[in-house]
Amino acid sequence: MNIRESELPGIGYKFEIITKNDDKLVVVIHDDGRREIYHFDADDHEEAVSAATFTDEEARQIAGILGGMRYNPKSLDTVDFTFDDDLIIEWYQVEPGAPAINRTIGEVDIRSNFGVNVIAIKEKGTKRTYNPGPDTIIEAGDTLVISGEKNQIRKLISTLLSSRK
Amino acid sequence: MDNLVFEVGTALVLIAVTSLLANKLNFSIIPFLIVLGMLVGPHAPTFGLIDLTFIESNEIIQFLGRMGVLFLLFYLGLEFSVGKLAKSGRSIVVGGTVYVAINFVLGLLYGFLTGMPWMETLIIAGLLSVSSSAIVAKTLVDLKRTANPETELILGIILFDDIFLALFLTTMSGVLLAGSTSVFGIITSVLISVGYMLMFFVIARKGTPLLNKWLNIKSDEIFIIVIFAILFFVAGFSETLHVAEAIGALLLGLVFSETEHRDRIEHLVVPFRDFFGAIFFFSFGLSIDPSTLSDAIWLALGAALITIIANVVAGMFAGRQAKLSHKASTNIGLTIMARGEFSIIVANLGIAAGLSPILTPFTALYVLILAIAGPLLAKESKNVYKLLNKVFKWSKVSEKKKIEVPGE
Repeated sequence: MNIRESELPGIGYKFEIITKNDDKLVVVIHDDGRREIYHFDADDHEEAVSAATFTDEEARQIAGILGGMRYNPKSLDTVDFTFDDDLIIEWYQVEPGAPAINRTIGEVDIRSNFGVNVIAIKEKGTKRTYNPGPDTIIEAGDTLVISGEKNQIRKLISTLLSSRK
Repeated sequence: MDNLVFEVGTALVLIAVTSLLANKLNFSIIPFLIVLGMLVGPHAPTFGLIDLTFIESNEIIQFLGRMGVLFLLFYLGLEFSVGKLAKSGRSIVVGGTVYVAINFVLGLLYGFLTGMPWMETLIIAGLLSVSSSAIVAKTLVDLKRTANPETELILGIILFDDIFLALFLTTMSGVLLAGSTSVFGIITSVLISVGYMLMFFVIARKGTPLLNKWLNIKSDEIFIIVIFAILFFVAGFSETLHVAEAIGALLLGLVFSETEHRDRIEHLVVPFRDFFGAIFFFSFGLSIDPSTLSDAIWLALGAALITIIANVVAGMFAGRQAKLSHKASTNIGLTIMARGEFSIIVANLGIAAGLSPILTPFTALYVLILAIAGPLLAKESKNVYKLLNKVFKWSKVSEKKKIEVPGE
């Protein structure tokens, strides 16, 4: 995702967002607190096809919804189950550009380095889930089901599974 | 009988009703208030208690309008920051320079061709070159164009245009208000104005920590009293040095814009700017004798036409060199051509210096035409683009592909 910021003197602040799917969105934050969001034509990135205006309060609520504060989608990003205080199972989708990509589980040695077990891997785009071995190659978009202590899982995710940007 | 408050109250009611109407029609209040001012005045009738001639209150209304100019320019100074300009980038600097140059040079030519004396020609060239920040910002927001790719460039050019306005007003007030006719006298007074301006720049750079400390006033009440006291004192003092009071306000705004209190001042000044600004547009209309309008109509129409062409050309150039499409570049010129508050302020400088009285009706008509035609043309920019495209053949006519909806 590509985000470009710019100031609009006398009006406010503008964020231009181009997603991985090449969708263009523009968010304008007006100095008076209003927010506007524009969606551009997929073929013509100069032509806004729709727009919506929110008050400050509405914008905050929508931000919460988009951020997953109310409902967290299953099998995406992080969904965790807590067994006791420390041990949890977590689902995590490997981000593009993450250091672990194209390396085997044995190679990065998740178990001895982080004390975390990879219970299952769900390949991107398939429903198939299988038990990984040390030779299983981690690919971008794979969802890893991992169990371990919360802090160590966090450490694993931040060092190996999320993109370096 | 002293009916002063009632007369001013009547004027304010008219201003309020007119502003409501302008808002309803989705137009800037500027052209509407000028027309309102023209409609009333010494030639207007008196209905019983309600006196529409505003003769008795003329002086106070003009004074409130003058305060409006001070607030408008003080705010312009506050908004402006050297930092913003420095990071604005090459395409804005090039686009802005070309924009000002094309408009100013054509303005000079127009003044010569219509046989205006030197000073009047300079004032006309100046007022033809300054776009209306208020109308342009309103147009962009109303037409939901803030997200468009050309918007940053439009606002950048406006910022650039504002610097030109500051430099032009400072130099011209030196030339005009000196009251001197000798070349030496004029040069001296221009040097005084420029030196005065430089003094403010130095204060803005060096004095900021001190100002930050002095203006660190907790109470809003005391804060606003202090700020306004400085504003009026500095503006008035400038006048004694033959620097227009409006310039004093602008330069003071520049100084405050460097302090950490800038946002607070801006916040406090906006309602005053809006209120007294409205009275300024009304008072400008009031100062126009409608019978003089017919003398200036052709002059104003010609100037408006030149501005429209110059803006479309300059906008196209600025947009293309910033690698925007022809369509986005068409939007630039059509949006930026609106003229308003700053053109009137430039004209007022000339009128205050006793230049040809035709400047008043000329400026009024010129601003009226472009304050209304500008936003309308901006709204119709798609059709204007299609028309231009037919002439210049920039791109193959790319009719929108119809999306096939199954079952329809």
